[in-house]
Formats: sequence, C-alpha cells, structure tokens
Amino acid sequence: MEDEITVKDIFWKFLKIGSFSFGGVYSMLSFFERELVEKDKWLTHDEFIESVAIGQMTPGPPIVNTGICIGYKLKRIKGALATTAGQSFTGTLLAIVLAVFYVKSKGNVLLTSVMKGVGAAVVGLLISIIFKMAKTTIRNYRTGLFALAAFFALAVFRLNPIVLILASAVLGVVVFGRRV
Amino acid sequence: MALLKLCWTLIVINALTIGGGFVMLPMLQKEFVENNHWLTNREFLDAIAIGQLTPGPLTVMNAVIGYKVSGLFGAILAMVSSYLPCIIIVTIVAKYYYDYKESKIVRASFLGIKPAVIGLLAAVAISLGQTALVDPVTIGIAIISFAVIAFTKTDPSFAIVGAGIAGAILL
Repeated sequence: MEDEITVKDIFWKFLKIGSFSFGGVYSMLSFFERELVEKDKWLTHDEFIESVAIGQMTPGPPIVNTGICIGYKLKRIKGALATTAGQSFTGTLLAIVLAVFYVKSKGNVLLTSVMKGVGAAVVGLLISIIFKMAKTTIRNYRTGLFALAAFFALAVFRLNPIVLILASAVLGVVVFGRRV
Repeated sequence: MALLKLCWTLIVINALTIGGGFVMLPMLQKEFVENNHWLTNREFLDAIAIGQLTPGPLTVMNAVIGYKVSGLFGAILAMVSSYLPCIIIVTIVAKYYYDYKESKIVRASFLGIKPAVIGLLAAVAISLGQTALVDPVTIGIAIISFAVIAFTKTDPSFAIVGAGIAGAILL
C-alpha cells in the first residue's frame, strides 16, 4: 500500500491538516486520525498511536513531531520533510503577513491599544498553561523542589534557561534514575 | 552574523524543548530579549500572541522573531532552524523507538525537565506580567483570560481576539 502514496500526496494532506489546526492538541489529533487512519488508511491505529507517543517524547512541538514520524513511516526522510513543510506552511505564511503588518503599523494608536489587551491575555494564557502543567507534573516534594529551584535560578539568579534545562535533565537522572 | 546566531540559537532551543511549544519561551526570552536585545519584552509578548493566533504550533512565533531580526529571509531561516532538530531527532527516535522508550536515562531526565520547566515558565510569566499588566484593565483582562482558558474548554485564540477587542475599546 505504501508505494501508492507519493510525497506530493503527503504534502497536500498535511497542508490541509496544518491549515485547519486551530484549537487544542486533542482536537487536532482526532483530525489527524480521521484523515489518515479512517479515511485514507495510510496508517493503522497502532502506528498512529505510536507516532503520537513519539511526538510527545521528543523535543519540539508534539503535533509537528507526530507528523514528522508519520511522514517518516510513509516515505522515509522525504516524507518527514513533506509533512513538516505541509503542516507549517499556512501558519508560517500567516505569521509573516502579521509580522509585516505589525512592524509597518508600529506606533499606530489603535494597534497599541489592541496589543495591550492581547499582551494581558497572553500572560493569562501562560499562567493557565503553568497551572495545567503543574496539576499533572508536580506530584510530590521532589518534583515540587525541581520547579522551585528552576524558578529561583531564573527569576532571582538569572541563570541561562538552556543550562537549567540541561542541569535538570542530569539531576533527573541522579534523583529519579533508580526509580523508573 | 546576526542570522547565524539566530539560526544556531533556535536549533539549540528547539532541540531542548520537551513538552510543547511553551517550553521554549524561557530560552527564547533569555537569548533574544535579554542577551541580544533583538526584541523588547513587549514585542516578545506580541510575537507569542501572533504564534497563538495562527494555525499550527506556537513555534511559528519564531518566524515573527526572524522577521524582526532580518526580514523575510530571517523569518524563513528561523522556521527552518526551528524544525531541523525536530526532523533529525524524531526520525532517529522513530527508528529506535523501543530502545528509546525503555531507556531509563531518557525517562529519568524527562522527570527532571518537566517540573523544572514549570518553574522556568513561572519566572517568564512574572517578567512578562511586569510589562503587560500596567493598570486595572490589563490586570482584569489577564484574570479573565486565565479563568476562561483554565476552567472552560475555550480555544486560547478566542481569548486573545476577545482581549484585543477589549483593548481597543477600553485602553
């Protein structure tokens, strides 16, 4: 079955997925599954679930990574490139259009007011993300200490977050290594 | 030189972003706002908003940053640099999935990274809050957005559009 699918097919399919991917991760994943597993039968359900798992345990946006994994399963590295390009095309184009508009109308009074409101909402959004992540991740005093230490290291001691993430990975191995 | 630095920084950051697009924010803010002064805190906030409004992952905000640094070419290069590490790492993991999944080192390091990221994001929220929350109206908008996104199933994009309209009327 795999040899019927061309790289072009993959690109168009993921262009469609990427263009209508408003909304949360979960609504997107069900869209993925409907299109790829149920409609086109490019993948089995199990292959899809494995791709989602890989997407979540690798660095980068989970949705894009799931797409990369599916593309790789279908057509190796060419498939991976096609899914990435397809999935990010519309969003990138729109972001660039908005960036041009934003830079050009800098100083516009109305835009300044709009962005003041938007900026406040982004802070609210960020806090809600922290809240949701904390609910699932901070389960005992060890994980709580990791969060607190990272907070103070960045907010008070202004250490570099790249170094802090690497350090937390190493400390994770030291602290949790024997229990996983 | 700025372009090279932009690309390299984005490659490193994206290679370390485990657990969704928001995880890259502390690193992006440190490198681009604090260390290189390519953006102000306000512009960084606006880039997040644009990334959230457009379809696809938050990562497209890097196109906005790239555009700010070096125009259209910078935007495209920023996106290529953001996705390059993902493509390399995911294809390798896809190949060795079962070894990777069972790897104690990978699992234990994720257990360390995930809570640390929450602390880092809290520090970023405070820093961005100092820029964005300047009067009772902006504080009110932030509280309402938080409540709507955290306690209902509303898409964050609606909250951002709503806040923009509220800003146009009230601010």
